[in-house]
Amino acid sequence: MSNILEIKKLSLKIGIQDILHDISVTVPQQGIVSVLGANGVGKTSLMRCISGIYHPTGGQILLEGEDISKLKSHQIVDRGIMQAPEGRQIFSNMSVLENLIIGGGPLGRQELDHVLALFPRLEERLKQQAGSMSGGEQQMLCIGRALMRKPKVLLLDEPSLGLAPRLVGFICDLVSKIRSEGYAVLLVEQNVKAALRISDMAAVIEHGKIVIEGDAKALSNDPRVAEAYLGGHVHESA
Amino acid sequence: MLDPYILQQLAIGLSLGMIYALMAIGFTLIFGVLNVVNFAHGEIYTIGAFAGLMVISVFGPPLLVVLFIALATGALAGFGLERLAFRPFRRFSDEASLKSRAMREATLMSSLAMSIIAREAMEMIFGSQFQSVDLAYLINKPIGIGPITIVNGDLIIFGITVVMLGGLQWLLKKSPVGLSIRAVSNNALGAKYCGINTDRTIIITFVIGSAMGALAGILVGLYYGAIFPSMGFTPGIKAFVAMVMGGLSSIPGAVISAIILGLSESLSTSFMSSVWSDMVAYAFLLLTLIFFPQGLFGARRERV
Ligand SMILES: Nc1ncnc2c1ncn2[C@@H]1O[C@H](COP(=O)(O)OP(=O)(O)O)[C@@H](O)[C@H]1O
Ligand SMILES: [Mg+2]
Repeated sequence: MSNILEIKKLSLKIGIQDILHDISVTVPQQGIVSVLGANGVGKTSLMRCISGIYHPTGGQILLEGEDISKLKSHQIVDRGIMQAPEGRQIFSNMSVLENLIIGGGPLGRQELDHVLALFPRLEERLKQQAGSMSGGEQQMLCIGRALMRKPKVLLLDEPSLGLAPRLVGFICDLVSKIRSEGYAVLLVEQNVKAALRISDMAAVIEHGKIVIEGDAKALSNDPRVAEAYLGGHVHESA
Repeated sequence: MLDPYILQQLAIGLSLGMIYALMAIGFTLIFGVLNVVNFAHGEIYTIGAFAGLMVISVFGPPLLVVLFIALATGALAGFGLERLAFRPFRRFSDEASLKSRAMREATLMSSLAMSIIAREAMEMIFGSQFQSVDLAYLINKPIGIGPITIVNGDLIIFGITVVMLGGLQWLLKKSPVGLSIRAVSNNALGAKYCGINTDRTIIITFVIGSAMGALAGILVGLYYGAIFPSMGFTPGIKAFVAMVMGGLSSIPGAVISAIILGLSESLSTSFMSSVWSDMVAYAFLLLTLIFFPQGLFGARRERV
């Protein structure tokens, strides 16, 4: 398998604060890679760097070999990276259909049938104002909106946050299904169990550094992973 | 049957309201995408009037061409204004900075500075007195309709405004550019994640809003036959009031409020001196701020 997205020694400073330090993550073609870590360790900042919302202060982000770390957010979307971001960032005053069409960009409604097949719930609500839907439905819209662009890499920032357990299962199945359709997925999660079950590879971040990485199956039995979430320090053992 | 005088005042008030509406749209669109008030909007109106005046005195083309030149000049001025007074303050792109208070205050000052520079420059070039407009271009030919007399300008202003409002509505609801403008208004960060070029969308918003403001300027200039460097001040304030009454970022709200404002001002002259009619707008502003801080039409729904 060749790698579609390679993050090399990425670092980010905001003001005097070191947010990310020497982060390297690789996403293979048609693979799912998770980035795990407790609250506030820098997962969202990493995702924002990839989408061009933040510009890293060091390192590279290679999409099919091209460094995209200095591009603007819309250029990165044009290159084929879409994100379902933290906080969903849907257009709450606009209709569900309009949200999806905006996500499609130049593709318009071309992918609409495909996305609605993945999320039948959205089809019933196309005319509804996006902000009036339940949290789970908004999350579906957020992911569906990202898929409207047929991205090469899909970034998901805590898709299970605030969802009922039943919906977490739905989202996990969905991510596996999306992968089987050929997408590469970079997933950020706090729900470690669910994330490791569907991922190929995983990395754990602590204080802006990767402290554990490896095969997802191996990590799911690694006591250090659970420890990282309980606020324990793993530097010694890593 | 209404008193003919009242009917006549209503017709004039409608024209006035339509002009305020054209102006208020620019304010509202820009407030939508940036959460800032563009203090130079009144000068864009004046620039439109002067651009029209200049083509009239140099080339004397048909009226439609004059209007088009004013529109185009406004678009250009809007582009320049965004580049000079707004873009430099937009260096960070996370949600905290996109519509931040610091940016609001900085651009408030920079757009105010641009408006002063533009007004002073026009005074230096043209002098501060009224410019006379070639009589053939004035749109004040009387037309009798039953018991009342309106002028052809009333019809022209009404027609043009309806076309512009319809066009704008189509643009915002149906075109990709309009969807981008609404997306940025609704959630600027979300728009970035969707691959929308927010800087370009903001420029387009300034271009559209300023074109409409400039068109309002030339229409008023030809309606009253008076074009002068400070002519944009009062309509700028009225349009601002209409935007606030409409709930800050609702276009339908701003348009309806602008028309209410125009009609009330015009009717007010039947029971008080016209010198005082400007007070109507200020009274509306105060009442809105005290009793309807969300605008006359309730809580904010769709922003644009
Ligand atoms: N724009 C910003 N300005 C200042 N600090 C920031 C900014 N964005 C993120 N941070 C800081 O970076 C750290 C990591 O945040 P974040 O990436 O959101 O973590 P996570 O997604 O893992 O919870 C936090 O301490 C946060 O306060
Ligand atoms: Mg986060």
